[in-house]
Amino acid sequence: MLKQELIEKNPIRHLKGESDAKESSRMGLVMARAGLGKTALLVQIAMDSLMNDKQVVHVSVGQSLDKTKLWYDDMFKDIAEACKLDNAGEIHDSIMRNRMIITFNESKFSLAKLEERLHDLVQQNVIKPNCMVVDGFDFVKTDRAVLEGMREMAKTMDLQIWFSAVTTDGVDSQSAAGVPAPCNGLEDLFNTVVLLQPIAQSDCIDLKIIKGSAAVSKCGKLLKLDPKTFMIREDCK
Amino acid sequence: MRDITKVRNIGISAHIDSGKTTLTERILFYTQRIHAIHEVRGKDGVGAKMDSMELERERGITICSAATYCDWKDHAINIIDTPGHVDFTIEVERALRVLDGAVLILCSVGGVQSQSITVNRQMTRYRVPRVAFINKCDRTGANPDRVIKQLREKLALNAVPIQVPMGLEGDMQGLIDLVRMKAVYFDGENGDKIREEEIPAQYQEECDIKREEMLDAVSMFSDELMEAVLEGTPTEEMIMAAIRKGTLALEFTPVMMGTAYKNKGVQLLLDAVVSYLPCPTDVENFALDLDHEEAEVKVSNISSDPLLALAFKLEDGRYGQLTYVRTYQGTLKKGDSIVNVRTGKKAKVGRLVRMHSDDMEEIDEAGAGDIVALFGIDCASGDTFTGGGDYNFSMTSMHVPAPVISLSITPIDNKAQDNMSKALNRFTKEDPTFKTFVDPETMETIISGMGELHLDVYVERMKREYKAEVTVGAPQVAYRETITQRADFNYTHKKQTGGSGQFGRVAGFIEPLEEGEYEFVDQIVGGSVPREYIPSCDKGFQKCLDKGALVGAHVTGVRCAINDGASHAVDSSDIAFQLAAMGGFKDAYLKAKPVIMEPIMKVAVEGPTEFQGSIMGSLNQRRGMIIGTNEEDAYTVIEAEVPLSEMFGYSTDLRSLTQGKAEFTMEFATYRQVPKSVAEELIAKALKNKKQ
Repeated sequence: MLKQELIEKNPIRHLKGESDAKESSRMGLVMARAGLGKTALLVQIAMDSLMNDKQVVHVSVGQSLDKTKLWYDDMFKDIAEACKLDNAGEIHDSIMRNRMIITFNESKFSLAKLEERLHDLVQQNVIKPNCMVVDGFDFVKTDRAVLEGMREMAKTMDLQIWFSAVTTDGVDSQSAAGVPAPCNGLEDLFNTVVLLQPIAQSDCIDLKIIKGSAAVSKCGKLLKLDPKTFMIREDCK
Repeated sequence: MRDITKVRNIGISAHIDSGKTTLTERILFYTQRIHAIHEVRGKDGVGAKMDSMELERERGITICSAATYCDWKDHAINIIDTPGHVDFTIEVERALRVLDGAVLILCSVGGVQSQSITVNRQMTRYRVPRVAFINKCDRTGANPDRVIKQLREKLALNAVPIQVPMGLEGDMQGLIDLVRMKAVYFDGENGDKIREEEIPAQYQEECDIKREEMLDAVSMFSDELMEAVLEGTPTEEMIMAAIRKGTLALEFTPVMMGTAYKNKGVQLLLDAVVSYLPCPTDVENFALDLDHEEAEVKVSNISSDPLLALAFKLEDGRYGQLTYVRTYQGTLKKGDSIVNVRTGKKAKVGRLVRMHSDDMEEIDEAGAGDIVALFGIDCASGDTFTGGGDYNFSMTSMHVPAPVISLSITPIDNKAQDNMSKALNRFTKEDPTFKTFVDPETMETIISGMGELHLDVYVERMKREYKAEVTVGAPQVAYRETITQRADFNYTHKKQTGGSGQFGRVAGFIEPLEEGEYEFVDQIVGGSVPREYIPSCDKGFQKCLDKGALVGAHVTGVRCAINDGASHAVDSSDIAFQLAAMGGFKDAYLKAKPVIMEPIMKVAVEGPTEFQGSIMGSLNQRRGMIIGTNEEDAYTVIEAEVPLSEMFGYSTDLRSLTQGKAEFTMEFATYRQVPKSVAEELIAKALKNKKQ
């Protein structure tokens, strides 16, 4: 398979929306309960940008550099194997040059620090990200102001930012639009909100688009994903 | 046998010129290991460092020996030398492994300097509990409070003073112990008479405040103390227990102060070493189970268990070869036989000694957790000894990475030649990653190791310790070649000019091998190549692997298969088939799209946050692929993968880029194909060399 085909099969295409010319200064949110593959989807989102020769910053709160790097390596390997990608080695090396991981200890994360770091990176000509994924951001403990600040940053730096959030259980914790806690009061800040759910008696994962302009993709509001590669599964429709 | 809870294995680490030698001397004096104090600093007050080395040599004391033993208040203290080269990982790693706790010495004027930062970080990595000692409080400009602040900010330690100095600089009288609330004076010519009195009135207020702060900090580690503090009745024992608990957990660093030169505070430091630093059973050490893929197993620290001991340092002393070992469990007895796990060789424990500063004591046995020296044991440092039997454990990983860089060295004269071979012999024993051989083509001696600095250190040591002056060639990176696709061959070797002829034909293919270096596949059916000549083909292929056709580098990752051939009843021979296989390989090799691979190093640069931009820039310049950054308190760790060939001279660059505040470590990561432009350069260079 060629690189181009791979790009098209990526579910993120459908989230970003082809008609949506302006990809930048958007915020997206991936929600799921623990263990369903939020990080995997974030990596996939990053991978999509990387495949398109754009640069990505991966912010990981509470996970080590090596572990985060492993996510990319494993994911790439799985995809390359599953899709029989041509010259995988070369593509891997070239896209990984466009990726930058910044890790924070759980207690040390702050918006100001992150902003400073990003400015440094751009100034030093190390990387000029087009997409940023933030994994392990604590939605329970942070207040709205931080996210508003992030939004502001997305605008000034011309960035697309994707977050992951663990859903917490609770009966009346869903917002009107169906966004589960802890993000039920924050959905206005995000352009896209998706929820990952396991499909009963199937090895696929359901990607439900709760909010987003790209919701009208040709596949409707639900995409079925292969849990290993997070690619769209045609045979599972 | 000695009570293991009364053993302390400690390291003393310090920035250059913060008084490590003086302090060590005083410790040995107060523990009655030496009987007179000699000053490091000469009367003219210059060149302290050189003086100390001369002094050691002159008096033959072994302050810098690997381990020195002394007694303090019925506790045994083994002081282990922490190497001066912080960059030199294998040696540092070994030293840090064998110590259970450490004293961090800081100069009250200089404060936390870059080397302290490095050492501290390494100790954190190896989870070594430590106490801090602010030395040189008699110097002009002494400011312990500022140093404590630096300990907190730069080293991110929870540093809390447990003493208050009575006067600073020239008029330092003594110290106030905040745990016991007593003023301590050090009388006598050598400060050896300790006098305790009530706290002088002018210090009372300051001490009350500082004690309050200390109690606040340490009561975090003990509920009992917390309650007692609230009730206003904390006892000495409670406070000491809480300090110990916090220190062992690496969450608290008690800070002491004094001046070793003016003989103040050293005895209190020794008390603290005994009270707050761990004994061998307080820390967890792990052995690797060689029967189960090097799984980690906690060592028991029990003297009656099977023996497990690590040789951490070899020394060529006045007494012959000494091997310093630390026992982790079991007992090392004179006359016992022990087994070197790496080589499987048995040896008998001849003489077992405890090293003192200027002499040694013969002992009969050493229990778990102790550090002793052995005579006449042939081993390399880093080797593990067990009592034999099925007990197959190792303290260090058996996996030794292949060297990635090499240098040619040439001795300047005959004397240097002798010394050089002595030195090389020793170094290869000490360090398994250091290798040496003679290049059969140029007849030069080649040394190879894990990095530029690694080899630099050995060349320097050759000069200093063995007086072997050598000239050093330019460092060579160990490139490799491999093939990227399958290619067939069909080669006939024929020679019929005079004498017996040679004939052999082999056909087959070579293809990339996913894992491993080389594989030979025999697919001959019907005996087109006679059985006896099949190993000859294998041999022929292997001969081709030494030098690839591109740049003459070692060829790896090749599967060679033969599936057809022909022979002659008279003219076929072993050599004929070897030559046929070599011819076939050479034919197929260039068709198989060979590429050059270069060693890629995983580089981690740690430095203050403000320099992270320029550090990244420097890595980018060197074809580095930046993987990411990790934000710690005041500094950032940047990880990148950089080709080794681009890392030459990086330490100098980095130093000038960051005012010496950043350091980097690198280790071999993998081999990766070199970019086209670089490959062309390398091939052109190889061609040029060949022509010459």
